[in-house]
Amino acid sequence: MKQYAYFPGCSLEKIALSYHLSAIETTRKLDVELKELDDWNCCGATAYFHVDELLAYTLCARNLAMAERVGLDLVAPCSGCYKNMYFTSAHLQRDPDLAEHVNFALEEDNLHFSGKTAVRHLIEVFVNEVGLDEIKSKVSHPLRDLRVIPYYGCQILRPRKDHENVEEPQFFEGLLSAIGADPVDYPHKLRCCGGSLIITNRLAALSMVRNLLQSAVDCEAAVIATACPMCQVNLECYQQQINQEFGTKFFMPVVYFTQLVGLSFGIPPKRLGIGSELVSATPVLSWIQKSKQEN
Amino acid sequence: MATKPDFSQEVSNLLYASEGNPLKRCIQCGTCSGTCPVAGFMDLTPRRLIAMINAGLKDEVLASNTFWCCASCYHCTVRCPSNIDIAEAMYALKRYSMWKNQYQEGLIGPIFSETFVKMIVKSGRSYEPVLAPTYIFSYGIREFFQEAYTATNLMLKGRLPVLPPRIKRLENFRRMIGRIIPLGDLT
Amino acid sequence: MTEKVGVYVCHCGTNIAKTVDVVEVARWAEDQPNVEVARDNKFMCSSLGQAQIEEDIRERGLTRVVVASCSPHMHEKTFRAACEQAGLNPFLFEMANIREHDSWITEDRAAATLKAKALIKGAIERVVHHQPLEPVPVDINPSTMIVGGGIAGISAALELANAGYHVYLVEREPSIGGHMAQLDKTFPTLDCSACILTPRMVEVGQHPNITLLTWSEVEAVDGYLGNFTVSVRKKARFVDERYCTGCGICIEKCPHKVVDEIFEAGLGNRKVIYRPFPQAVPKYPVIDKEHCVYFLRGKCKACQIFCPTTPNSIDFDQQDEMLKLQVGNIILATGYDLFDSRRIPQYGYGRLANVFTSLEFERLVNAAGPTSGRIVLRDMQTQPNSIGIVHCVGSRDENYHVYCSKVCCMYSLKFAHLVHERIPGAEVYNFYIDMRTPGKGYEEFYHRLLDEETHFIRGKAAEVTDSARLPGEEGKLIIQVEDTLIGKQRRIPVDMVILSPAMEARYDSREVTKLFRMGCDFDGFFIERHPKLDPVATMTEGIYIAGACQGPKDIPDSVAQGAAASARVAGLISRGTVFMEPVRAHIDAEACSGCRICNSMCPYNAIIFHEDEKVSEVITALCQGCGTCVAACPSASITGAHFTNDQILSQIEGILWDVREPLAVPV
Repeated sequence: MKQYAYFPGCSLEKIALSYHLSAIETTRKLDVELKELDDWNCCGATAYFHVDELLAYTLCARNLAMAERVGLDLVAPCSGCYKNMYFTSAHLQRDPDLAEHVNFALEEDNLHFSGKTAVRHLIEVFVNEVGLDEIKSKVSHPLRDLRVIPYYGCQILRPRKDHENVEEPQFFEGLLSAIGADPVDYPHKLRCCGGSLIITNRLAALSMVRNLLQSAVDCEAAVIATACPMCQVNLECYQQQINQEFGTKFFMPVVYFTQLVGLSFGIPPKRLGIGSELVSATPVLSWIQKSKQEN
Repeated sequence: MATKPDFSQEVSNLLYASEGNPLKRCIQCGTCSGTCPVAGFMDLTPRRLIAMINAGLKDEVLASNTFWCCASCYHCTVRCPSNIDIAEAMYALKRYSMWKNQYQEGLIGPIFSETFVKMIVKSGRSYEPVLAPTYIFSYGIREFFQEAYTATNLMLKGRLPVLPPRIKRLENFRRMIGRIIPLGDLT
Repeated sequence: MTEKVGVYVCHCGTNIAKTVDVVEVARWAEDQPNVEVARDNKFMCSSLGQAQIEEDIRERGLTRVVVASCSPHMHEKTFRAACEQAGLNPFLFEMANIREHDSWITEDRAAATLKAKALIKGAIERVVHHQPLEPVPVDINPSTMIVGGGIAGISAALELANAGYHVYLVEREPSIGGHMAQLDKTFPTLDCSACILTPRMVEVGQHPNITLLTWSEVEAVDGYLGNFTVSVRKKARFVDERYCTGCGICIEKCPHKVVDEIFEAGLGNRKVIYRPFPQAVPKYPVIDKEHCVYFLRGKCKACQIFCPTTPNSIDFDQQDEMLKLQVGNIILATGYDLFDSRRIPQYGYGRLANVFTSLEFERLVNAAGPTSGRIVLRDMQTQPNSIGIVHCVGSRDENYHVYCSKVCCMYSLKFAHLVHERIPGAEVYNFYIDMRTPGKGYEEFYHRLLDEETHFIRGKAAEVTDSARLPGEEGKLIIQVEDTLIGKQRRIPVDMVILSPAMEARYDSREVTKLFRMGCDFDGFFIERHPKLDPVATMTEGIYIAGACQGPKDIPDSVAQGAAASARVAGLISRGTVFMEPVRAHIDAEACSGCRICNSMCPYNAIIFHEDEKVSEVITALCQGCGTCVAACPSASITGAHFTNDQILSQIEGILWDVREPLAVPV
């Protein structure tokens, strides 16, 4: 059983609880154990970096050091947490002076960062660590060519880490195909949802979400799959406001990829947190129901 | 003899070197502004802002809303032909702006960031309801009711936290932060 | 016997004198053993400086000369010539570099002066061991090989052939002509490319002094300046050139077509037996073995059946021919490849049907192309009414190629003009960062395009998408860009997008440099001997470069370089014999034990072994004086002329003149 230090992030406690539930359920089925990191703190999101960079790195380094202490690689389901943690680790490894400064602060909590922990996004664990073949073998209720949008969002791929394909990735599509869905060729799959602007520049964020939703409707998708709680909340919870603001009629379900994977594994929807959406995912469920009957 | 850094150098110093982040290498091609999903909401496009930074027009730069509109999506950064990390430059400008307490009137970003940081220092975790008041009273009545409606729905679905969470080793945490910057009146 | 050494210390203006106390150094040098006279001078390389050396040689009977100044790369030749003028063998001269190795690398005056003394002492100690040497004569074979039959290669070939010298022109494709043959019109005159190119091609094909080897590739290169042996594989055309009249009936009758990826850039088809284009030189077609039904399944043979000549010109049993050609010089004119636009996914090439590359558009617009010159969309039917031309695709970009590709602005303007000409009333947009129009008539061409009401938007295109968002975008390709002169992000809907990709080095340019033993830069372009003063020679004697293989350039520059390379070669041929540096190795046959270690060590294959006498010998002309064999020989039987053990060891001792403790130096 592969173990990871699990960093849920602030949003998975309540507003994105379904992501947490479905993550635990699906990883368990794939023989992966997500051990919640004890006493983890907020990663700083974007706001902390608006104030002091060194402080922001220290916040992340605390989590990394704790993961190092338990000897496990860190897994974050939220793209924002993932990006912050990944680059903190990368910068500290590359710059010993910075690491020294941060470690000086970490001493107050009896922690030390030495860069031994790798940082992964939850979807990476599915696609790279577990592998699509393994996932496919556990699928008992393929999603019957459900038209799903693989919405990557922005911080899962950017900034560039290595020489990976940041303009035309296909791994999310690969995962969706493996569970029997029909990934949609979505021209805005790498576009930002405006997550960090939803409070500070409401109109800009709603505008961005509106374009994404309109494009989703134009592509005739049934549901949008996300890999980040910020994206899910932004795309789903404000559809009512967008409809009022722009005179549109959006009613597009937005779920987490783990929820779709869980449904394909035959896990009951309730256990995956389905039912807590503001835009109901019932259409998705009924589409898949037919799959159950046909099997 | 030490010379006073110009504005462009000051901004670069506030960046954790993305390999030195050569703002001066900007050839003003406009790829960043062409890519930016929020460019339409900025008074000055990112490219223009960088030209102004390089020209040393500090006050005009700080008076713009450009960097506070930045969604931090990094699309500009990965496409820039001069390998400038523009998104990070926007972060640097936010830090500069907050440090000098100099920014456009009516922006929510600075207040929000300050509140957020105070909240983390207080409890080690983020808690949405605390952030709500920062913007509700900046927006109008209609937005207030819209937000209240959304918040209520979320609460009914059990998705809004009621109690603020906090980490266990909060004392250590605060001392840890104190070793980076003096907490002073943040506690 | 003591020598009389003249030491000359140069100020080089302030370059050396600012950091090294040259007066003191000269004074000190005069006191050294063997030194007859020591002087300092503001500029040793000046006529006065040289005259001083000559005068001292004559008047004072100097037997050796040391000049302490800049790098030998600069003026070794100058001072050697001065010595020779005064009757002293030029190899009895030594230079000490107290500029690049001393005054230019430190600001510490004391340290610099001390180092200058050490370097000069080393030079003095060394030069007394120098022996007079004579340059090695090498005969130049008057035949030349030119690799690459594009416009640069053709120009070079004609220059040499018209001068009366024989040329082998080797070309990989079935016909010469290169990329220029694919173009429709050329900027800025809008000359028809084929009209100006084909007369040259015909001249090459008919020239008595040119042996044209098309459908051929170089496989091995041996030898040295004046005496290269090049192995060329003449691939089987399966058409017998002795009998083929070029009538083309075989092409007409061939029942099978394939997509022409090379000449038609994937937009048109060709037959399996084909000529790349109608004016191909030579006229003989070629059978594409990989797609020919006869070779795949043993059927068809339509070409052979319909061939009217007797005997039949189709020869399915034809074999590749291996040729071994003797030439004196080689000119590489292998041209360029176009940057692969699929590497920039946000521009949509390969995914969005109506995004074209420049070469694809050239074929569309060419009267002899797949659409007979009609500009149409990918469906080969619909005429576009609005076209966006994107500059700087893959160039001026740290993510792909940093360099500016020099010609793209001009050909982008050319495209804009051609659209205006063929589709009156069409909206044409050029998206650029800077407008680069440096040549003769180029800026005027830009003005012409401004007059034609082209929309110039200063902004590098951020992305090309088919996802409509605003009214008027449905069914179009949208180019999203910041119009930097206005300062606003704009979305421009167009029917067709043309990308202007960079010229890049050929995909196999690195292999070619290994084959010909010269170098290329990090971008894969061949390296010239000097970026300013010697753009057509390489660091390898006898190998020259011309055209786009040296770097992106337009047709006039390619022609000029081809002619320049030919002039260089013609100069060598007309001299007949060239003198090479005598810095070579020599094996003492008496001392050689025949162990042959040196044979395998030599990087230039310059050492042969005499089976009968069981001794090795260095072929002087091939030897490049690297010194590997000298060091490797276990019995010290090999001497490196001008780098003997005595010379090197004395130089070391001279440099260490002020080291107090005795050093344990093995003799």
